Amino acid sequence: MASQQADRGRVDGLRRAVDGAAAEWFGLAVRLGLAVVWGWAGLAKVSDPAEAAQAVRAYEILPESLVKPVGWGLPFLELALALLLVLGLGTRIVAAVSAVLLLAFVAGISSAWARGISIDCGCFGGGGAVDESQTEYLQEILRDTGFLLLSAWLVYRPRTKLSLDAWLAA
Amino acid sequence: MSEKNREGKRNARDKMMEARAAEEAKARRNKKLAVGGVVAVVIAAAVVVGVVVQNERSKPEAPTAAPAGTTGDKNLVIPVGSADAPSTLTVYEDPRCPACGSFERSFSPTVDQLEDAGKIVVNYHIVSFIDRSLGGNGSKYGANALACAQDAGHFRDYHDVMYRNQPEETEDSFGDKQTLIDLGKQVPGLDTPEFRACVNDNEFGGWVSAVQQDFDKSSFKSTPTVLLNGELVYPKKGDEQISPENLVKWVDAANQGKQLGTPGSHGQSPAPTSTAAESDNPPSP
Repeated sequence: MASQQADRGRVDGLRRAVDGAAAEWFGLAVRLGLAVVWGWAGLAKVSDPAEAAQAVRAYEILPESLVKPVGWGLPFLELALALLLVLGLGTRIVAAVSAVLLLAFVAGISSAWARGISIDCGCFGGGGAVDESQTEYLQEILRDTGFLLLSAWLVYRPRTKLSLDAWLAA
Repeated sequence: MSEKNREGKRNARDKMMEARAAEEAKARRNKKLAVGGVVAVVIAAAVVVGVVVQNERSKPEAPTAAPAGTTGDKNLVIPVGSADAPSTLTVYEDPRCPACGSFERSFSPTVDQLEDAGKIVVNYHIVSFIDRSLGGNGSKYGANALACAQDAGHFRDYHDVMYRNQPEETEDSFGDKQTLIDLGKQVPGLDTPEFRACVNDNEFGGWVSAVQQDFDKSSFKSTPTVLLNGELVYPKKGDEQISPENLVKWVDAANQGKQLGTPGSHGQSPAPTSTAAESDNPPSP
């Protein structure tokens, strides 16, 4: 009996942790954290269009005709995600788009690694071919996986404090 | 009040509550759709605006202004040596690249002699990608200063001075235009108001970007990339390691039975070991 009660208490505690106000504050931190990631990643790729294009070209995945549109559009997509995350508007959708994008990045980096080409991922500016000794594929993939966890949390629990979503729902 | 009447009232109330619940659900759904729509519009607008703005901002692949005497279909190549030399050495170099610096310091006397003897013409592609990975402007400003020196007819000498004074790769002293101008003082005849203005105004910035974009699209990924008559010779030609002696040997082998070019036709100062007097020839256009 006692153990059953303890179980129920634990379950309730878990539910409070996932659904309560504390979780919504945690969600706010996750949302703003992901916003900083996208904002930083986007801004770092805006200044030199040729560099952004070359970062994409270096993966040797996309045809030349798509290299520039992707290299030029991607930073602005990232900035748009950052803006929406700061506002807390459509958090679940934005987090889902973030997760898809991050999965695509992880796939791209893994593919470059598997094919044995030596590039910088260009995740936060830079990019292009580097010396074999300077590749950091594992770190890049782990970092993106961390960001993926942030996105996953927001897909799971999109309700966060100080968000337009909460304001609209009220 | 009859039993029937009471029942009817309850039904009406239930219906009303059901209708209200359905309306609220509909409103929630509409709100969700609206938010989704706004998100889609924001993302789409950002991407479209981004592509348009970056297209506007990016420097053309064919430069609008190129230094005097450059060759190639977009004037991206700086040739040194006589144009009718039988062999061509193609060199891709970044001003900040340490391997380029060590290549230049070991090979430039030999290369200069081969040029002066009319044995080779060297096609320089001055690329500028190290700024991308390390930050700073040393590659771009350095490349522009080299373009300015080419425009003034002193590319070879300034190029040699620059690589002899190359900083550590992570130290961006070529990103300081004054440093580049000061280096120009070591080349007789280069330190003119035109050269200083050209360096300070980053006059050939568009050309520098075009040269780099051309390199981006090539299959070469690192510098120095050195080709003799189209064949890679750095760090090895086949199984043979490059050295000043081997370079001369390879050039002589390639030139066998061919007419040498007109020596010294590019108006640069002669190689250090040459006996010819130093002179400030005007640039050949």
